[in-house]
Amino acid sequence: MAKLEATKSIENGSHQRKNTVKDFVFKYLLLSLALLGAMMIVFIFIFILSKSWSVLRASGLGFITDGGFSKQISTSYNLSPAEQTFKFGALGLLTATILSTVGALILAIPVGIASAIIICEFSHRAFGTFLQSVIRLLACIPSIIYGLIGLMVVVPFIKETFIFPQLQIQYLSDPVLRMQLSGKSLLAGIIVLAIMIMPTITALSADAIRAVPKNYKEAGLAMGLSHWRVVSRIIIPAARSGIFAGIILAAGRGTGEAIALSMVAGGISNVPQLSHGGVFFLTPVLTLASAIVNKSEAMSVPAIQSALFSCGVILLLTSVIFSLSTKLVEHTVRSSK
Amino acid sequence: MMNEAVISIKDVSSWYGDKQILKNINMEIKKNSITSFIGPSACGKTTLLRSLNRMNDLIPSFKLTGTVKIDGTDIYKDIKKPEDLMRHRMNVGMVFQSPNPLPMSIYRNMALPMEESFPKERKKEIPKLIEKYLSDAHLYDEVKDRLHSSGHSLSGGQQQRLCIARVLTISPEIILFDEPCSALDPISTMRIEDLLNELKQDYTIVIVTHNLQQASRISDNVAFFYHGELVEYGESNQVFLNPKSELTQNYITGKF
Amino acid sequence: MNKLLRDSIMKNLCYFACIITISICAGIILYVFIKGYSQITPKFLFSEPTPTFSEKNAGGISTPIIGTILLTLIGTAIAFPWGLASALYLTNYAPKGKVMNMFNLAIEVLAGVPTIVIAIFGLAIFTNPMFGFLSSKVEGVEGISKAFGRSFLVAGITMGIMILPYIIKTCIEAIKSVPPSYMEASYALGAGKRQGIMKVLIPASKNGIITAIILGMGRIIGDTAIVWLTLGGTLRMTGIQPWFMPENYLSTLTNTGSTLTSYIFYTSPAGEGNMPSVSFGASLVLIIIIILLNLVTDYVGSIGKLKGVDE
Repeated sequence: MAKLEATKSIENGSHQRKNTVKDFVFKYLLLSLALLGAMMIVFIFIFILSKSWSVLRASGLGFITDGGFSKQISTSYNLSPAEQTFKFGALGLLTATILSTVGALILAIPVGIASAIIICEFSHRAFGTFLQSVIRLLACIPSIIYGLIGLMVVVPFIKETFIFPQLQIQYLSDPVLRMQLSGKSLLAGIIVLAIMIMPTITALSADAIRAVPKNYKEAGLAMGLSHWRVVSRIIIPAARSGIFAGIILAAGRGTGEAIALSMVAGGISNVPQLSHGGVFFLTPVLTLASAIVNKSEAMSVPAIQSALFSCGVILLLTSVIFSLSTKLVEHTVRSSK
Repeated sequence: MMNEAVISIKDVSSWYGDKQILKNINMEIKKNSITSFIGPSACGKTTLLRSLNRMNDLIPSFKLTGTVKIDGTDIYKDIKKPEDLMRHRMNVGMVFQSPNPLPMSIYRNMALPMEESFPKERKKEIPKLIEKYLSDAHLYDEVKDRLHSSGHSLSGGQQQRLCIARVLTISPEIILFDEPCSALDPISTMRIEDLLNELKQDYTIVIVTHNLQQASRISDNVAFFYHGELVEYGESNQVFLNPKSELTQNYITGKF
Repeated sequence: MNKLLRDSIMKNLCYFACIITISICAGIILYVFIKGYSQITPKFLFSEPTPTFSEKNAGGISTPIIGTILLTLIGTAIAFPWGLASALYLTNYAPKGKVMNMFNLAIEVLAGVPTIVIAIFGLAIFTNPMFGFLSSKVEGVEGISKAFGRSFLVAGITMGIMILPYIIKTCIEAIKSVPPSYMEASYALGAGKRQGIMKVLIPASKNGIITAIILGMGRIIGDTAIVWLTLGGTLRMTGIQPWFMPENYLSTLTNTGSTLTSYIFYTSPAGEGNMPSVSFGASLVLIIIIILLNLVTDYVGSIGKLKGVDE
């Protein structure tokens, strides 16, 4: 087919002049669409920043150093436009985002890397393929379903196992942080998030392990090392940058997760207190991303809308930093080769 | 030379799946000698070499019948536990066709096998032993000032000598060389041949090579393989100057 | 011996981790299945949801399913040509080096933006009165006319933006895997670049491109954040009824509705309703759709491999 068209166009001279116009239009159409696509990230930043400006300007640095977000939202909802302060403090949100992501990583990294090791090195073909399909399935389950199961299984489990009535009564009037312990908590968020980000770590670690040249493994075995030792002392260290890239990617996904956490993490912008001991993990929390979901109904109030957009600005910045870091890791790997 | 036989191969045949690679090989390799396996491509010489340290186990479809005895132990039938296999591989070391230093510093390339195999008391000997083995491999002087630079920063010939030094750290009795110079330039090749001549005083060496001049230069005994069969095996001078088989004669004179 | 014991413990811990992973996956699928399958009746699938608090009268999921389909179609219709065009530019016309790297970086960064952020971006843009035609106009509190900013069109466009970077990346992979000899042959016959691309490159990479589209659809179907913020969260279509009559299409598209994902959210204990059984029913439908899409992707991918196109 290509032959016929090509020959025809050579024979037909005038066809060639029309072709140049078509070629020009084609190329610049593609260019403009590509340019538009590349500029989207800039547009996103500009629009979100503009909508958040009123709160960011009023709160300044206090947006990330002061707390009290939930309370500020509820008071703001009831104030008239004239009384709005536009001052918000999202410290609780920031701490919750960091704690939930780090907690999820602590659970997901060992399980993820271990699964990758088994898939690549210690399983027969059938089991390895099966395990990979399981990981892929986990990766494509929508976050709403994780949220639903978290809500119907994990939260009641936490409530039954860890929260006794005396505990609840105690914390209803705690002097430091008055709160209602219902099972929706930092712990629930960590568990759900860990399951959600683990497939990313497994997939990228498996890729990294497979990319290690086979002759390192041969050298190790020929030296009399056991298979496990070859994996732990030669293959994994050789794969460490790919594994690290996977972890950064997973961390990025963790910070941005909104729906599942909005359902299981509690929805109140508390800053968990270490002085509470174990109840640290049972504190209901609100992350930057889940705040936007939880408070979205109050967005008709301009101050609240601006506050939520400010959360968006922080999320955007962190996701950009994560993406750039992953690229940096990949770049250093490639240049060192 | 009246050295005792240290490797004894009896009625050995092997397959990859349905394809037979080795057909009824019988030979004995003597201690402290250099034995070359020669023959055209795909004649089975590398397969036989790799059977000696059970590296063929890595290929799932590999099967071997017959007896391979090293120091009296049948390495296929008598070695069952993983730790016995590991010990066997430390007794029979291997240097590969492409130099494969691990992606670490020269120091760690040398230290890793010793750290893994030494008991706690011996671990303090490691730095001295690294110097000793690098010297034995004629590499120490060239790298003594940069032991912590990456193994990959060395030239091809140096990398291969590093791999040889590395194999010495596990104190093997036998060292297998799988076409060790095929990726190297003539000068590096010569240096390694000199090294092999020195090493044979303390180790038993079996080398697979395509380079007939190399085989005639360094080996004590030569085994010629063709289509999986051992066609001729004997003292190097005899095989090269007065081959018993016409096939051997044709190969040596370059007819195929 | 001590060392070997340690090795074996570590190895067994790894196997244990795998068991955990498999159990969690099986647990999730089984739980949704058990809780949801009794809901899957033709009545459930084809009747509209009724906004009540009573579980028995909760109605079905027909409009959420249609909502999901609508968003998927709109989002894909926007992202596919846009993404393919961008991929073609980047693989065939863009000067190699710094320019390419900047483009690729911008797309990579866009891919990493959380969907909730894309959602509020959609809200930010489409509440601008300039885009009022995409949704309904409302009078704001201060009397300033503002677009409502929530409708199928708005959500669909936002979805398109969300999946754009993934479509671009997958199309680039598909195009790059076509052997350069195909294009060389077409040049050697005198064809220009445009013709080569249209007649040779695109057909040769069509399996990868189809995979890109299906993957993009999967992402749209599974997303809740964008739907929740930009679709308005009403169970039923709020355009002029009956919504399925052609003359009412525009009205339906510029008004709100729901999708499977927002329906699940709404009917779960986290939303307004408290009807977990229908929530699970819809979840089961959603999971089945996602699994089917994945199987289709695998199948499409394997056709290519058999024909040797991907090699």
